[in-house]
Amino acid sequence: MATKYGKIPFWIVYSLLMVLFSTPSWAGILGDDWEKFFREKVSFSGFVENTSGVSVGKGSRFFNTSNRFVMNRFTIQPEFNVDMADWSKFFISWRFVAEPRYSMETKSREASVTYFPPQPVRPLIVDYYSEYSPVPWEAVWDVSPTDDLKLRVGRQFISWGETDGFRLLDVINSQNLRYSPPAAPNLFNLDETRIPAWGLRALYTIRPVSNTILEFFTLPGALDNAEERVDLFMGTNDTNDRKVRFGRWSPHPETRLTLAGRNAFGNLFANPLNPTGCSGAGCLVIPNTRRQLPDSAESWKVGARITHSIGKLNFGVGYIWGFNPQAADMVFKVTGVGCSNPNVGACLAGLAPSVVNMKLINNRTNIFASQFNYTVDQVASIPINTAIRGEFAFYPNQPYNISQYPGRFGLMASANPKFPEGIVEKNTLRYALGFDRTALIPFLQDDPWRPFRMSFQIFQRIILDHEDGIHPFGSAQRISTVTTNLTFRVSTGYLGDTILPDVFLSYDPSGYWSANPAVTYAPPWNEKISLSLIGAFYGGHNKFANLGLFSEKDSIFLKMRYQF
Amino acid sequence: MIMLPVQGQHFFGPKALVLSVIIYSCSLLVFASVAAAADADLKVGETIGPQNWQKVQGMVGDNFLNRIKQGYTFQIKEHKFYTPLEEYVEATQKYSGKVTLGPHGELLNYVAGQPFPKIDRSDPEAGQKMAWNFFWRWLGDDYKTGGATKEGKIIRYVIEKDGSERRADLVSYFLFPRTRYTLNPKPAIPGYEHIDFMQLRIDSYPRDASGTTTLEIRYDDPNRPDDLYIYIPSIRRIRRATTTQRCQTLAPSEFNLDDINSFNGKITDFNYKYLGEKKVLGNFTEEHVPFNRKPGDYLPTDEKWEVIDTYILEITPKDPNYCYPKKVLYIDKVNWDTVWTLVWDKKGDYWKEQFAFREPVKLADGREVWSGGTVVIVNVQNGRSTLVTVSRAYNRGYPATMWSLATLQTIMRGGSVE
Repeated sequence: MATKYGKIPFWIVYSLLMVLFSTPSWAGILGDDWEKFFREKVSFSGFVENTSGVSVGKGSRFFNTSNRFVMNRFTIQPEFNVDMADWSKFFISWRFVAEPRYSMETKSREASVTYFPPQPVRPLIVDYYSEYSPVPWEAVWDVSPTDDLKLRVGRQFISWGETDGFRLLDVINSQNLRYSPPAAPNLFNLDETRIPAWGLRALYTIRPVSNTILEFFTLPGALDNAEERVDLFMGTNDTNDRKVRFGRWSPHPETRLTLAGRNAFGNLFANPLNPTGCSGAGCLVIPNTRRQLPDSAESWKVGARITHSIGKLNFGVGYIWGFNPQAADMVFKVTGVGCSNPNVGACLAGLAPSVVNMKLINNRTNIFASQFNYTVDQVASIPINTAIRGEFAFYPNQPYNISQYPGRFGLMASANPKFPEGIVEKNTLRYALGFDRTALIPFLQDDPWRPFRMSFQIFQRIILDHEDGIHPFGSAQRISTVTTNLTFRVSTGYLGDTILPDVFLSYDPSGYWSANPAVTYAPPWNEKISLSLIGAFYGGHNKFANLGLFSEKDSIFLKMRYQF
Repeated sequence: MIMLPVQGQHFFGPKALVLSVIIYSCSLLVFASVAAAADADLKVGETIGPQNWQKVQGMVGDNFLNRIKQGYTFQIKEHKFYTPLEEYVEATQKYSGKVTLGPHGELLNYVAGQPFPKIDRSDPEAGQKMAWNFFWRWLGDDYKTGGATKEGKIIRYVIEKDGSERRADLVSYFLFPRTRYTLNPKPAIPGYEHIDFMQLRIDSYPRDASGTTTLEIRYDDPNRPDDLYIYIPSIRRIRRATTTQRCQTLAPSEFNLDDINSFNGKITDFNYKYLGEKKVLGNFTEEHVPFNRKPGDYLPTDEKWEVIDTYILEITPKDPNYCYPKKVLYIDKVNWDTVWTLVWDKKGDYWKEQFAFREPVKLADGREVWSGGTVVIVNVQNGRSTLVTVSRAYNRGYPATMWSLATLQTIMRGGSVE
């Protein structure tokens, strides 16, 4: 992520290195052996990309920039493969991202997120989305001491499960949710928003013919930036240091809790110091939040699983221990209640708003995971031709924020006196089922045998022993016992796969939907170039539900990519 | 009764030598009877072009013939024979006697080698037996497609009707775990006796496709569909796919899953008819791999062609919804690999035309065998064509663990597994 030093020199130095390492002349300087090594063992690839986006509407009052230019991102990602030997390979890549921030957007944020008491808010830094760290994006050394054992050491991605668009078991690496609008895999896929982590992964094949594989991984966490050990989430105010930490795809800062014309978000977690005698602004509770990141000494993550095939069924069971990186699973934990006025008596008299001190934390968790996939070819002579996949994750004692509904002071919700820390723990089961198949729809195709690839997924979260009043940390929208997301994706290709449409739809039955259509042009005269027109649209009546924790800002993007 | 020649290699042992001489002599007798006529018509060094296209009519695909009429010119060269591989001949001798066909055309009691070295032309199951001979032709114990090219990978060009081109690179690894002739363990890897072959295909260029990997497993059980797993780099996960819809275009190429190696369908899913023998034009000693050509065109500019004796095998699907109602293979009599493959659509119109060049490659012990060279498929209806250079490196001794999901999980961009 962004650092304050030497951006330009890094670009220059690394660009030069890229060029030199990719040319035989550099190898020649080092001698014939090196030249032979570079020519035969080293390959170079990567891409350069520009993504520009404009909003199609002016957005809500939370994002009412006059400038509708929402993205202009330049990315270059050089990648090197070094095949040192049959048993040893090395891969390294860097990701450099540059994107100017627009002052109008910054001003808009300043206006929209400042709440009582009004105080100057620091503008967002200009290069908020830039990445120019010399630390490799990925750097892995693959070693196979034996045919059965594969080790991967370095900064890497470890992905379990098979879901698309959303993740369920893919919670080993954290995700940069500031990078992309949500539910838009056609704009930036999961791999582009995932954050690599330093660690070790081992795969031991017990019986290859049945794909019986034992897997183990460990991520120390200490080598990763503190904020990257968990999801870089969509944004919240950190009133402790008065920095605004918002991505452009951030959630609404308010939760439809208003009291005396002001944001009463803090009332979700604590009552004012004088709850019975307060009036007007004196009944307000101002949140004073602090993001608590997993400490380097305790941020280890380990996991293991075993996979196996029986006939057409392939399945696996596993276990993950460590911090749950998912932003949506974070909770506010109340640490105390104070007064906004230096004179505490003003709060005790019910005249001045109280201040609730909270820390926003990721929970350390155990995840019991399992997955399967199975193909169904025919049922009663009816061709089904569908691959079915499933994932299950059980989170024991998953913490949730909880409040009392209806709340006091005429609010939708306020602090629940049964839970002074604002947290309750519940066993939670999450699962996803996916159905993948291809279909030939000749009348929609120029090539009748070019298939449409279709994927339907259902995601559900079931809170066992559910309790009324459970809500996400960032809003007052209650979480039901069962929450559901449905996704559907369809893609195909026309004119020899030079025109590639792909549509990703998601729907939350509680009242929200998103659509992420894309069409890519891959010119028939150059396989290195692609141009994509992508939309990210959101709608529905319940913007605070599962999919809706972000500003609804419909946008259209043009992505231009050159691969090398 | 005719004795079909088996495919080629040098011979070493005395028994194998005698056997090979007999088989080879028979094959030469067969060739002699038909080669004489061809020799009379086409002479080594003769130039074929629009002035004398009639001389090769029926020996090439119709589309190719039209290109000759339009000006494509080439020379005829001497045909190269590859002698059968000793181990394969021995396995054929040892095991073929017990091999029979089941009621649904499945192969019974098969261990290794050519299943049916002797086929009666009048046998109503001659086509089915030929299909099995084609399926179990010698292809090494394992091989890396593209492994014998200069780049060490398959080079694929997709050519549009207007001549614009796109390139892609990939590698493909095949393992035949239950028909092993050279590498230990023989004749089967313990535990793998129920698997006919396993294929690992990895894209390596362009970058966005690189790392995409498919693992396909073909089982000997005629009722069990193939297993297909796909590793998708953009989500870094393995996805399962069904293989029952094998007709789907492997876009942007003009191939589908069953077009790999000319015909890669499950043998028991089709009906076969032996249509006779024919001399066709091919190239078993491709000089440049890939061959030289004009940009935007799929025809070689400086390769010579040779006259090859083939069997004609017609393939029709048991499934009426299958994409190719008729596919015809022209199979070389000696090595049982295809020279031409022609496809018609459901309306009976000519659809696709494929020719496959071959080239000699060396085994680790220095013996010369044939390999696929450059293969061209032309969709004559939409004008698109695809070229792949598939030179094989045989008997690399890959461990069976390479064809497992653990490999897919450790694929990086660039797609290297070796």
